[in-house]
Amino acid sequence: MMRPSPIAIVVALVVSIVGIGRAAQGPLGGGTVRGRVSVPEAVDVAPRPSVSGFTSGTHLAVDRRRVVVFLESTPVLTAYPKTPGRARMDQRDEQFAPRLLAITTGSTVEFPNNDTTFHNVFSLSRTRTFDLGRYPPGRNGAIRFDRPGIVPVFCDIHSHMSAYILVFDHPFFVVSDTSGRYAIRDIPAGTYGLGVWSELGQARSRRITIAADTAIEADFDVDRDTR
Amino acid sequence: MACLALQPAGATPCIGRQPVGVRSGIPMAMRRPGFGLLVLAGLLGVLSRPAAAQTESTYTHPEERRLALGGDVGIFIAPPDQRTFFNYTTYDLDGLRMAQVQLYGEWHLHERLSLVGELRTENASTLDASALYLRWRPSMHSRLAFQAGRIPPVIGAFARRAYSRDNAVLGMPLAYQYLTSLRPDALPAVTADLLKMRGRGWQPSYPIGSLDLRPGVPLVAGSRWDTGVEGSWTSRWLDLSAAVTQGAPSVPVVRESNHDLMWSGRAATHLPGGVSVGLSGARAGWLADSVLDVTADGRQTPHTQALIGADTEFGVGRWLVRAEWLHSRFDLPIVNDPVRVRELTAQAGFIEGRYRFHPRMQIGVRADRLAFGRLTDATTGVSATWDANVTRLEVAFGLRLSRTLEVRAGWQENRRDSERGKRRGLPIAGLLYWF
Repeated sequence: MMRPSPIAIVVALVVSIVGIGRAAQGPLGGGTVRGRVSVPEAVDVAPRPSVSGFTSGTHLAVDRRRVVVFLESTPVLTAYPKTPGRARMDQRDEQFAPRLLAITTGSTVEFPNNDTTFHNVFSLSRTRTFDLGRYPPGRNGAIRFDRPGIVPVFCDIHSHMSAYILVFDHPFFVVSDTSGRYAIRDIPAGTYGLGVWSELGQARSRRITIAADTAIEADFDVDRDTR
Repeated sequence: MACLALQPAGATPCIGRQPVGVRSGIPMAMRRPGFGLLVLAGLLGVLSRPAAAQTESTYTHPEERRLALGGDVGIFIAPPDQRTFFNYTTYDLDGLRMAQVQLYGEWHLHERLSLVGELRTENASTLDASALYLRWRPSMHSRLAFQAGRIPPVIGAFARRAYSRDNAVLGMPLAYQYLTSLRPDALPAVTADLLKMRGRGWQPSYPIGSLDLRPGVPLVAGSRWDTGVEGSWTSRWLDLSAAVTQGAPSVPVVRESNHDLMWSGRAATHLPGGVSVGLSGARAGWLADSVLDVTADGRQTPHTQALIGADTEFGVGRWLVRAEWLHSRFDLPIVNDPVRVRELTAQAGFIEGRYRFHPRMQIGVRADRLAFGRLTDATTGVSATWDANVTRLEVAFGLRLSRTLEVRAGWQENRRDSERGKRRGLPIAGLLYWF
């Protein structure tokens, strides 16, 4: 096995330190993409009818308008430093809040039970299979997500409870507001695929070119899912 | 095609290439109505429109009229059991050898009033509206609710969670399924007639009343619901329910067969730590007028079924443990017996547990016992329990293939204190799907 020369090691270290320093500051003069995503009109997520009990009747409407807008993964983006953090998906009024969460790989999501009843958060997703078991109000559970992908989340006790966690291997994504507005900032200059994920349907991804210190607009129409 | 991640071979699929994990878990009401739902809507005879399209918001509000639909499909497989009949139900079929489809819907006529119904077919041989009632909440903020029609039972806990996926195993508890030798439409002439039928609940016959071949009754009918009115109040710590219905715990009816009403009630408390405890009771006339009319005192003859029960549930983490105990007393007129009316008692109890040792896998166990009171034949001096005691142990392993699809396999061991079909072990399997 060939040993690297001392000079090569020094050069590599200098390059690495400079690179890390730049990365920590974010891309100098990064660009922005922003716009609006129109989603189809959607019916509410009605709970399954409770024939044998009284559990239905106070169902709160579920907001499914938010979408995730993201840059499609490329080697450049995945090499970009991520800052795994802690996110929170609450359980309240027999709903998950927020219903849609986007995180980077390595992040941990807490699932506090702030409801008045037991919950049992689980997912059978290939991205992250887990089952937190039953836990009472006031208790918390946490799961770390190390692989990118889509993680549908459910409650084993309340079949009408559902949510989504999207896990990315780069930091260039955002969850829109309820009107569909979004903005992804500090994108390094380059050409990327820009995609949209909505539980209501699909939108065709598009190619965008980001230049330094500029902002571009990209609007989407999500078509009702016909899969 | 948009990808969340860099795509090495076998890595995370792209959006659009991941229909299985995502779509299989989406509640039915989020999807467009498919053929099955249209069929259900047609069957229910409900003319409804889907939630109206919104302009400003893309979600409907609960006060709008809305039809919520769901269903359960269960396919149960076991060897034929036409010698011991341990798992036969009030539907006169083997509960471990059937395909059961339950379709249910709740149509919100008003923010506080809805029509709830369930259609059930077993082996595609019958189509039964097993539930059909109006549910009314006096106030959206009230925890009080009333139901009228063919309503769920108040007694015990099992019958209200009788959907297959809520069951820890595959079979039903003895108290809710096992057919005793009693019939509401036929009576023994002497005590010996009753004792002859020990362990023959799937088809007891008696000389007085109906001579048709019919099954006996369980202590509580878990697969059939009664008709009447129920009021319920729920809070975080306490649930209270009371009902007045036409039938009896063992004989729920749609059309009244006697002149009595059933009064039943249940109180349950939810304690800290995931424990709930319930107490319930019921009292009703269980014999049909047609058979009471042939007794000496006619409809004045005692014919009460009185029942008390206790149930508990403990569910924390990966564990779910439940237990129930029921005590029933039947007044049984015996026309030519010196005692005239016998008080027959029975006790049933089970404990079951489910442990989910993997998000996709679980194991469930139930130990179950049904015991009957002793009876002495004054003529012959023979003393025996009025029906043969039964013990059941069942173990089932479950694998969740998806959120809504599960396969289970296990073993059920039955023992009966009778020469007639004394013991039966059954390998069992089931496929459970819900939407």
